[in-house]
Amino acid sequence: MTGLQEPDKVKKHNTKRAKYVYGLTGCAFLALALLYAIRSNEQVIMQYNDIDSPAEIRPEYYDTIIPPNIAPLNFVIQQEGSEYFVRIYSETGKPIKIFSRTGKITIPEQPWHNLLDLNRGRQLSMDIFVKSGSAAGASDTGKKQWSRFKTITNTIAKEDIDAFLVYRKIRPGHRTWREMGIYQRDLNNFHESLILDNGYFKHGCLNCHTFLQNKPDKMLIGIRSTDYGSAALLIEDGEVKKIGTKFGYSSWHPSGRQAFFSVNDVKLFLHSAANEVRDVIDFDSLVAYYLTDSGTVKTTSDLANSNCLETYPTWSPDGRYLYFCSAPITWTDRTIVPEEYDQIKYDLVRTDYDIDGGEWGPLETVLSAEDTGLSALLPRVSPDGRWLLFCMCNYGCFPVYQTSSDLYIIDLEDAEKTGRFEYHRLDINSDKSESWHSFSSNSRWIAFSSKRDYGVFTRIYLAYLNEDGTASKPIPLPQQDPTFYDSCLWTYSVPELIIRPVRITREKLGKVVRSLEKIPVEMPVTMATPKVGTLPSAGVTWRSERE
Amino acid sequence: MLGIRKKILRWPQILQNCIRYKSHVKNHAYLRIGISLRALIFFSLFYIYLRFYVDLRFLYHGAGIITNFPVFYKGLPFFKTFLSYPGGLVEYVSAFLSQFFYYSWAGAFIVTVQAWLLGACMAYLRKTVNFSRLRGICYILPLFVLISYTRYTYFFTTTTALLAALIFAFLYFKVSLSRINPAGQTGIFLLLSVGLYYLAGGAFLLFAVICTVYELLFRNRWKTGLFYLLTAAVLPYVMGLIIFRVSVVNAYSDLLPFSWKILYYETRRRGVIFIYCLFLIPPAILLILGLWQLLLKRLRRLKEQSNTKTDKNRQVKSLNLIVRIFNWYRRSSKFRWIVETSLLLIVTGTAVFVSRKENLRTLLKVDYYAYHRMWPELIEAARNDPTNPLVVHSVNKALYNTSRLGYEMFSWPQDPDYLFLSNPAYRWHYWRNFDAYLDIGLVNMAENDLTECLEGLGDRPMILQRLVLINIVKANFDSARVYLNTLDKTLFYSKWAGKYLKLLETDPNCSTDKYIQHLRSISLDKDYCTQTIPIHTMLALLLEKNSRNRMAFEYLMACYMLERHLGNLIQNINRLKDFGYSQVPTHFEEACLTYVAGTGQRIRISGYRPSDSLRQRIDDFGRILHNYGSNKQAAYNELASKYGNTYFFYFLYGTSGTTE
Repeated sequence: MTGLQEPDKVKKHNTKRAKYVYGLTGCAFLALALLYAIRSNEQVIMQYNDIDSPAEIRPEYYDTIIPPNIAPLNFVIQQEGSEYFVRIYSETGKPIKIFSRTGKITIPEQPWHNLLDLNRGRQLSMDIFVKSGSAAGASDTGKKQWSRFKTITNTIAKEDIDAFLVYRKIRPGHRTWREMGIYQRDLNNFHESLILDNGYFKHGCLNCHTFLQNKPDKMLIGIRSTDYGSAALLIEDGEVKKIGTKFGYSSWHPSGRQAFFSVNDVKLFLHSAANEVRDVIDFDSLVAYYLTDSGTVKTTSDLANSNCLETYPTWSPDGRYLYFCSAPITWTDRTIVPEEYDQIKYDLVRTDYDIDGGEWGPLETVLSAEDTGLSALLPRVSPDGRWLLFCMCNYGCFPVYQTSSDLYIIDLEDAEKTGRFEYHRLDINSDKSESWHSFSSNSRWIAFSSKRDYGVFTRIYLAYLNEDGTASKPIPLPQQDPTFYDSCLWTYSVPELIIRPVRITREKLGKVVRSLEKIPVEMPVTMATPKVGTLPSAGVTWRSERE
Repeated sequence: MLGIRKKILRWPQILQNCIRYKSHVKNHAYLRIGISLRALIFFSLFYIYLRFYVDLRFLYHGAGIITNFPVFYKGLPFFKTFLSYPGGLVEYVSAFLSQFFYYSWAGAFIVTVQAWLLGACMAYLRKTVNFSRLRGICYILPLFVLISYTRYTYFFTTTTALLAALIFAFLYFKVSLSRINPAGQTGIFLLLSVGLYYLAGGAFLLFAVICTVYELLFRNRWKTGLFYLLTAAVLPYVMGLIIFRVSVVNAYSDLLPFSWKILYYETRRRGVIFIYCLFLIPPAILLILGLWQLLLKRLRRLKEQSNTKTDKNRQVKSLNLIVRIFNWYRRSSKFRWIVETSLLLIVTGTAVFVSRKENLRTLLKVDYYAYHRMWPELIEAARNDPTNPLVVHSVNKALYNTSRLGYEMFSWPQDPDYLFLSNPAYRWHYWRNFDAYLDIGLVNMAENDLTECLEGLGDRPMILQRLVLINIVKANFDSARVYLNTLDKTLFYSKWAGKYLKLLETDPNCSTDKYIQHLRSISLDKDYCTQTIPIHTMLALLLEKNSRNRMAFEYLMACYMLERHLGNLIQNINRLKDFGYSQVPTHFEEACLTYVAGTGQRIRISGYRPSDSLRQRIDDFGRILHNYGSNKQAAYNELASKYGNTYFFYFLYGTSGTTE
C-alpha cells in the first residue's frame, strides 16, 4: 500500500509546488503590469534647440478662444520626428505632460477639465517638443535631438458652451435615404449618442430638428417616409406626438405655444460645371404656424403671399418679431427650373406679433437683396436678443450648396437705436460655404457648418462671439481621434446647441413614427400658396433633397 | 472438463463472431470512406461551379444590383462600431470574409467552407437524434446555398448568422449528451443564448427553436422546452431593446431573412425564399423526425398489443419481392453509393439549372467588364441578352472604345434613351451612367451619380476611386483626400490610394498624371442647370470645350442619329477629319444617305469617298420597300432580316439589331 501511496504524495507535493510557483509568477506579472500602468510619465528634456516658429498641428487649435468645458482638444503634430512631447499649462493648476511616438496627442480628460476650469479667462499654453534628426546641431552628428517650438497659446473663455450639440449626419448624396440620423454629442467629452435614425422607420428621411430656447423639453423633428408618411414629431416633456404633416424649417415662438414652420416645394437640380454639383430651388414656399393647444395650423397673407417665396422663420427671444426670408416669384412656369435661377435672391424681413391678441404687424424689410446684391438666408437671433446672425450668398435659398455663403451679423440693439440695420461679415468665414448656425443659450458661442477643410464634407465648427460682435477663430468639433475627419464620409449639418441632453429613447420616437396615430392637420382656406385645404404630402414633387 | 469441452465447442462461433465483427468494422470503414468521398465530390463540384460559373467577383462588383454588399476597413475604430449592437460581430466577420469575393477562387473557397460547415451541422443534428437513415439531408443546406449564389443574391451575412446558430445548437447538443445535470444544461443554454444573441442577433431565435424542439420531442422535457421558448421571446427584448437600445423590430429580426432590411428592398428580396428555406429546414427536419419517432413508438406499442400475425404474414408474403430487392440494395454498398451519389448530383444539377438567372448573370458580367474596361469580353457577354437596355448602354461604350460605334451600333437594338439611360424609368440607376459621364467629360453628372451610389450602395471602393479622380480633376483636393484616406483602409485598394496620396504630396495639382490631365482637358467648363438643356446640347458644349473629344463627337453623332436629327448630323459630319477617321463610319454615311433620300439635298463630305456598296444597299432597301407598295409594316420582315443592322432600318422603324 505504501508503495502505492508514495507516488501520490509526490504528485500532490509537486502539484502544490507547481501551484505555488504559478501563483508567484502570476503575482509577479500582475505587479509588473501595475507598475507599468502607474509608471510616471514624467519626461525631462534637458537639452533642446529652440525653434522660433510654432509647430504645425492639426486641427489648428491655436490663437483662438476655447470653451472652458470643452472635451480635450486632441491634435496631431505635423512635424516629422521620432518622439513628441507636449506640455499643456496655464497660470494655475497642474500642467499636463504627454509623450507620443506618433505625433498623435491624446489629452487625458480629467486633468484637462481641471486645468481649464481653474483658468477661465486666462491663457492656455502648449509647449511642443519634437525629437528628430533634422534638429539644429543634430545633422552633423547624425544623432536625434529635441527641438522646442514656439509656444502655442489659446484663451480659455469665461463662459461655458452649452453642454450638448445636436446635429444630423448624412452622406454627401442622400436621395436614396439609406443612412441618416440625428445625434447628440456631449461637448464635455467624446460621447455621441443617437437620438433617432432612419433605421427605426424603414429608411425614411429625417431632418430639421428644432428646440425651444436651447432646451430639449420641447423639440420638433421632421420625418418623411414612404411607409409611414410625412410628419413632424412634437416632443413635449417626455411625450411624443406625431403631427400629420412635415414641418420644413421651423422655429418655436418663445412662449412654446406655437411652432412656426415653412412649407417648401423644393426642386433639386444639378450644375454642369460648378464646383458644387447640387443646387435647389423652391418652386413655392410659405410660412405657417402650428398651435400646440388646438392642433391647428394658421398663416397670414404676409407669411403666405402667393407672389413670394417665404422661408426660414425664426423668432426674436422676446417673442415680438418673427424674422424670415422672402423672395419675389419672378417666373411663370413653376414646373421647371427657370433660366434665371441665379437671380432669385431673398430679402430678410420681419413682422411683429402679439401672440395673445393674435395680431400681426406690417412687414418690415431688414435687409433688401436689392441693396446687398446677395440672398439673405437662415436668420437666427441670439438668446439675449442682441445679435441677428444669418447667411448671405450669391443667390438661391440653400446656403450649404453655395460656395459663396458666408455668415453675417447685425447688432439689433444698435438697429433699435439708429433705425438702421447695419450688417457686417464675420471674420471667421472661409472661401467655402458656411451655414446652419446656432447660438448657445448664453449667446457667447456659435456652432455652424462649414466646408472649409474637407470639401464636400460639411463639418461643425465652434466659435466664440465677443461682446462687440466679432468672432474668434473657429475650432472643429473635437474628436477623440484627431485624424477622425480625415476619412469620415459623413457630412454634419444643422448643429443646435442645447443645455441638457435629449432623454427620450429612440425606440419611443421610432414607435410613434411607425404608429398610425397622428394629429390630423389641415391648412386654413385663406391660404394662398398651396392648394386650398391641402398640405404637401410625401409625393415626388415635394420630396426635399436638402442637406 | 465439461467446461473446457463446451469452450472448445464454442470456438467456431467465437471465430464466426470475430469474422462478422471484422467485416462490420470493415463495412463501417467503407461506409465512412464512401460518405467522405461523396462529400469530397459534392463540395469539389460545388467549389468548381462557384469558381468558374458563378464567379463571385461579379457579386463583389455588384453592378449596382447587389445593394447590401458590405464594406470593410482595417483598424480598431471600424471594428468597434460593430461591438455596439447585437449581431455586429457576425456582420464584421461576414464583411471581412466577403471582401475575398474580390478573388473568385478565394470567394468560392469561403462559400464552399461555409456550405460544408452547414452540412456538417445538419449531419450532427441528424446523428444526435439517432436517425441513421436519410444521410442526404446534410446536403440540403449546401444545395440551397448553391441556389442562392446561382441566382446572384448576396446573403452571406445571413448565412453566416445561420451557421453561428447551428454551431451553437451543435454545442448545446454536445452539452445535453454529456453528464451535466439538467439545471446545468439550462444554465449553459442561457449562456449560449446570450453569447449567440450578441454574436448573431436575431439568428439566436433559430437556435432557441431548435433547442426547444429537441427538448420537447426527443427528451420529453416539456418544462425545459417551454422555458427555452420563453427565453427566445424575452432575451431579444432585454438585450436588444434595453441593453443595446436597438429598435424592437431590429432586436427580433436583425440577421434573419425576415428582416425589413432585406424585405424592404426589391433588389434584396430577390431569392429570399431560398434563405427562408435555409432557416426553416433545420427546425422543420427536427420537428418531423421527432414526430416520426413518436409515431413509430406509438405504432410499435399498438403492434405489441394486437395479435394479428396471420395478416402480417400475408402482408410479408405479398411484399416479399420488394423486400428482397430492398435488402439486396441495402447490402450492396457500392451500388448503393453510386445510386445515392448520382441522385445527389442529379438533384443538385437540376436545382441549379432550374434556378439559374442567365440574364442577370449577363448583366453582372457586362458591368464587370465595363468597369474593368474589358471591351471585347463585354461585347461577347452582351450577346446573351442583347435586348436589355442596360446591356446595350454598356455595349455602346464598348463599341466606342473599340472604335466600332459608327459601324456596329445598329447591330444592337437601339433607342435614344440608351446612350445615357435618360428615360425617367432609369432615374435610380445611378450606377450605370457615371463611367460614361466621366469618360465623356460630364464630370459633375458623374459626381452626382457616384455620391448617390455612395449612399445607396455603401462606401464601395469602386465608387470611392472614381470620386477621388473627380475631386482631383475639380481641384477639390480636400474632398479627394477624405476619399483617399478611406480607401487607404480597405484591403485591396490601399496601394492605389497610397499612390495618389503620395502624388498629392509631391505634385499637388497632379499635373504629371496623364489621366487626370486628360479628364481636365475634356471636362465641361460652362455651367448650366443640367435639367434645362438636352443631352445633345451638352455634348455639343463638350465639343466646344475640346474639339478633340472624340467620345463627345461620336456620342453626339449617335445622339443625332437616334433622335433622327439628321440636319444636325450633316452640320457636324465634316468634323470627321479632325479626329483622323480614315473612312466615314458606315452608320454615319447611312445617315447621310438617308438625309439625302429624305430631303433631296446633295451633300459632300470633304476628304472622303462615298461608298458605292452603301449606295447600292440603300437602293435595294428602297426597292424592297417599293415592292410592298411602300407599306412599312408589310416590308418589315424582309427588311429586318436583310437590313436590320442599318441606320436606314432604324430611321424607318425606330428599332434596330434585328438581323441575325
